[in-house]
Amino acid sequence: MYWLIRSAMTALYPRTDDLPGVEDADLDRYLKKLKRDSNGAIWGGVLAGTAVFTLSPIFTIRRARPSFLLSDKELDTHAYKLANSRSYVVRQSVFLLKLFAGLCWGEHKDVREHFHMNPYPDDPRTFRNDRMEQVRS
Amino acid sequence: MSHVAFQPKSAPHLHAEADYVVVGSGAGGAAAAVTLARAGRSVAIVEAGPWRHPEDYPSTTYGGLRDMMDEWGTTVTMGRALWPVVQARVMGGTTTVNSAICVRTPGDIFRQWKREHGVGGDELAKEVWRHQDTVERDLFVEEVPTRSHGRSNSLAVLADKKLGYQGHVMRRYTKDCDGTGQCLQGCRAGKKQSTNLNYVPEVMRRGGQVFSCAPVTRVAFERRRAVGVTGRFKHPHTGASGAKFTIRARHGVVLAASATHTPVLLKRSGIKNKMVGREFRAHPGTGVFGCYDDPVDMNTGATQGWASTRFRDDPGLKLETLSLPLEMVASRLSGGGHALMSRLRDFRHICMWIHAVRAESTGRVYAAPGGKPIIRYTLDRADMLRFRRGMRLVADMHVAAGAKAIIPGVFGMPYSLKPDEVHKLDDAPLDPNRYVAVLSHLFGGAVMGQNGARSVVDGHGQVHGVKGLSVVCAAAIPTNLGVNPQHTIMGLAMHFAERMLS
Repeated sequence: MYWLIRSAMTALYPRTDDLPGVEDADLDRYLKKLKRDSNGAIWGGVLAGTAVFTLSPIFTIRRARPSFLLSDKELDTHAYKLANSRSYVVRQSVFLLKLFAGLCWGEHKDVREHFHMNPYPDDPRTFRNDRMEQVRS
Repeated sequence: MSHVAFQPKSAPHLHAEADYVVVGSGAGGAAAAVTLARAGRSVAIVEAGPWRHPEDYPSTTYGGLRDMMDEWGTTVTMGRALWPVVQARVMGGTTTVNSAICVRTPGDIFRQWKREHGVGGDELAKEVWRHQDTVERDLFVEEVPTRSHGRSNSLAVLADKKLGYQGHVMRRYTKDCDGTGQCLQGCRAGKKQSTNLNYVPEVMRRGGQVFSCAPVTRVAFERRRAVGVTGRFKHPHTGASGAKFTIRARHGVVLAASATHTPVLLKRSGIKNKMVGREFRAHPGTGVFGCYDDPVDMNTGATQGWASTRFRDDPGLKLETLSLPLEMVASRLSGGGHALMSRLRDFRHICMWIHAVRAESTGRVYAAPGGKPIIRYTLDRADMLRFRRGMRLVADMHVAAGAKAIIPGVFGMPYSLKPDEVHKLDDAPLDPNRYVAVLSHLFGGAVMGQNGARSVVDGHGQVHGVKGLSVVCAAAIPTNLGVNPQHTIMGLAMHFAERMLS
């Protein structure tokens, strides 16, 4: 399933010239982290967005095949048209996919460097226990 | 032990007792708790989320959504549009992730409450303002320092001078703001004075107990008197259920769980009042980007630093600056594929300013089977006209500040407008689902009023028909404010707490 999500997200944020795409942003590691961290509703939403993205080229560019079988040019047109779909439900499905792909893309050090920003430090993912000591889990 | 965090299922059922049990540690809960503690009462604060110090705060927006926000920030309104509701689930509540904006309650609000709900008036105004004086001293309220403005806020000041919007540099609960632009993930620099850094520790120093990772399931009653709360610990990372807890209240239970969770908790606890969950209100808002010739680098400087309330009464709007991190801008700009990447190349040159509508539309909070809140809310046509007007006012600011293009972010409109095309926003669609908006300020769901048939709590925050149960958060506020609500919530909560003592 990861490869399908990866394919959809990569089409939304492709590599362009010197600007890294989401495929350059440790996407595989990110997807595993997202699945581990998120609740069922969020992961289900990402899967639903991926399904919509994969199965809808017939509606956007009149091609009766899944998105991963499209040519690069067709895929790019599909990604653009789907994100601007007239259907609010479709737009929202893609928006969720875009949101989580965008979080992966925008926080990556190479992307931030491109925009002259310092890399983010690692998230500590800690909280305080009874004795107010840091707990990592 | 004064702080108890997550306890595993294998731990024994935890029992505790205090004079007052306060559910929630955000603006309302922490302000009420510290008032009670300063009067010598023993207080137990029960917070659903974990306690994180600034060094525990995440750096990334992903981490912010995961570690600080309620349900990853994915709670949305159900209606014509799915607009997210911004609420935190962490010690300090939403004060940890907001921009710490401090605005005194306008006097007309108290008169409106008196006129429409039979509570409030000039006496309440005096009391709330007196407490707001205290909060401003306690939380070191300051104007955003000039060195922390950043270019986005400075451009807004420039536009304001040209247009006469009568704006101002914001006053905020910060101590020597560094302008790191990380308000929304929690201020890792520790400058923002969220309540987990001041009032909650003070309650502990005064002998209070604090329970974190402890969502309350229901309020317990004996003969129509609230006598405590029950719940079960929940691990903040794994979601695993932990030990049960029961915290008994000798004098009262104080609810401050937000405009969405307080009504749900009241319903779950058997409060039959038909007004519970009704009269939900908000300040929905959205942003308009301006694209400039020179880099703006909007994430440099205070996340929010400038505001105007000139349009608060007519048409009912507040204008503000708000910087978004790159990873949020990535999904906020429309399109996908190479066209989107081309738009994102302008990131350093764009900045976003926002409007928030003083909306008259009302919604309703329901309890889902799993106990989570469901919010039904849609803006009516009159509010959408205000909403559209706000888009134009913000776009005009960008033009005045010298933007070469305006990016309205409205579905059905061009991606960008030239400065001489912003008049097209006057004809922008009025369907809410054409906009990407957010509900940042929430009110109601357990509103106060004199008439028990039209309200949930009385003018002192006491729930009608039961003893020893109060609501001190935004859920009790019966109208919109048209300004940022944290100061009003805190002033009101302190006043209600004082009334409990008397």
